[in-house]
Amino acid sequence: MKKLSYKKLNFRYLLVALLVLVTMGYLTSCRSIGQSEKTISLDDIDTDVSGLVYAQLTYAPEVPKPISYRSPKRVKVELTTEEKVMKLTDGTSYTFWTFNGHVPGPFIRVRQGDLIDFTLRNSSASKHAHSIDMHAVTGPGGGAIATQTAPGQFSHFEFRAMRSGLYIYHCATAPVPLHIANGMYGLILVEPPEGMPEVDREYYLLQSEFYTKGDFGAKGLQSFDRDKAIDEEPDYVVFNGYVNSTTGKNALEAQVGETVRLYVGNAGPSLISSFHPVGQIFSNVYQEGGTLINHNVQTTAIPVGGAVIAEMKMLVPETIHLIDHSIFRAYRKGATAEIEVVGDENPKIYSSK
Amino acid sequence: MNKLLLNMILMFFPVIILSQGRAIAQKVEMRRVSSGVYEPFFKNENLKKIQVDAFLLGETAVTNADYLAFVKANPEWRRSNVSSLLADKNYLKHWESDLKIGNDELYNAPVVYVSWFAARAYCEWQGGRLPTTAEWEFAAEGAPLGEQIENLTKFAMKWNAEPRPDILPAVKSTYQNEYGLYDMNGLIWEWTFDFNNIVQSAKGKNGVTRVEFTCGAGALDVSNPDDYPAYLRYGLRSSLKGNYCISTLGFRCAAHLKK
Repeated sequence: MKKLSYKKLNFRYLLVALLVLVTMGYLTSCRSIGQSEKTISLDDIDTDVSGLVYAQLTYAPEVPKPISYRSPKRVKVELTTEEKVMKLTDGTSYTFWTFNGHVPGPFIRVRQGDLIDFTLRNSSASKHAHSIDMHAVTGPGGGAIATQTAPGQFSHFEFRAMRSGLYIYHCATAPVPLHIANGMYGLILVEPPEGMPEVDREYYLLQSEFYTKGDFGAKGLQSFDRDKAIDEEPDYVVFNGYVNSTTGKNALEAQVGETVRLYVGNAGPSLISSFHPVGQIFSNVYQEGGTLINHNVQTTAIPVGGAVIAEMKMLVPETIHLIDHSIFRAYRKGATAEIEVVGDENPKIYSSK
Repeated sequence: MNKLLLNMILMFFPVIILSQGRAIAQKVEMRRVSSGVYEPFFKNENLKKIQVDAFLLGETAVTNADYLAFVKANPEWRRSNVSSLLADKNYLKHWESDLKIGNDELYNAPVVYVSWFAARAYCEWQGGRLPTTAEWEFAAEGAPLGEQIENLTKFAMKWNAEPRPDILPAVKSTYQNEYGLYDMNGLIWEWTFDFNNIVQSAKGKNGVTRVEFTCGAGALDVSNPDDYPAYLRYGLRSSLKGNYCISTLGFRCAAHLKK
């Protein structure tokens, strides 16, 4: 009798265990579908690169054309660091430290599996040493160890683009926070082997902060304020390097019916962005610039030193304000960009009297 | 305060070193930097404090005019003769030719586009040497005389934030410090004898190189994480090689005190 009940109990345990196993199997299989790693295969790494291309570089808000080749190439990329005075807002300038004389630096577009043949030049007019840490690099310091470059000199390293995604790059010479706060950053897109799905328009936006001696709008040449930076209290939070870089006559353009893809980075140095399109909803968001796609997103978080790819279909004519929804940054510090959407009204979607 | 007073008195008695029987007797005003302790900016377990003995340091950086005398006396250091192992292609590139500076405004400006090898040779020709990094840093900490510079770090930071002017200002155009030295901040970078002896990276426990200097973690090992000018000086030094000739990098000479 006793023996029988033990057996029954045992059977019950078995059933429960089976159920747990099945559930676990189901869950893990779901996971592997939802989070396919899309890493490069060892075969690809061993494949000799066939041919040499020069990466096409563009400046915000422009994005290079999609990659047309479908096997790994040696891709030459050359950036130059320059220190130069540029506009922060009307009547206010700042000595920016830059890649290629632009803030943000150029947009670099490569394909997963490519071998990037990277040269960093430091202008001979520079006072300071500079370098680059590319988050797309698997290797020491993201390239920073190999690229500490004195004024007038150059450095070189090669890396394999191992994983697709949208990545920040930035200077990593001591003191790193100062080099980033002065404008040394940009984006590199590593396309998946099959390429990015086709869209009508692509744009490059990058959010960053500036900490200046004078408050927002104070006239003249402003210099870096270390105390404000340490307190993480910027005077400026901007897209693409200066106030109103991407508004009014500089607004991005789109037409009703088009799908627009935004490549958005956040270089900080300190503030996480709550990136939101006023009057729109992102249909697709590649979270943190990786391969996980979320849909129907009102506001997406962009970590500092991170990025997102966000897409939306234009349905009605409107001016879409792209803002950091930490709203004082948008209203008082400059964190606004715009997309001007033109085309026919569609009362089924929106009408007003 | 006593030290400051003593230095102020001493600085009115500049030591003049005459190069011994060389082609051109260059007169270099040397100032005495009193002994003290330098706390290295990048600390390391074996080296927390460095004793700096009293030494002599050039009152100003070496000027283009000074350097012209050197290349006149030493043909192997003329632009067209110098070995690329000792000075890269940018050597004296701001001069018109081998023995002609070409722009009067440059005469009293500090010489730049000179390599470490060239700077060392110049100082040896003068009967001196390059200062060590500890000596240079210790001397640069000297308090500014007068009232116009309230905070040396802020003053240095202001210079760091300005783009390099096409023509560098003359020596003695910034400030003089308690040792009588001019322009220790705010004019140029300066070569030191052991410029490349910096802990940029260290071996981790498994022998893998750790990034200590470049990434944020480096802030944990420095004597003052808010001293951005020091970071920038060490950042520049760590990027250098001995034959580099750079637009904002010059030097001044040091000498041992006669005992």
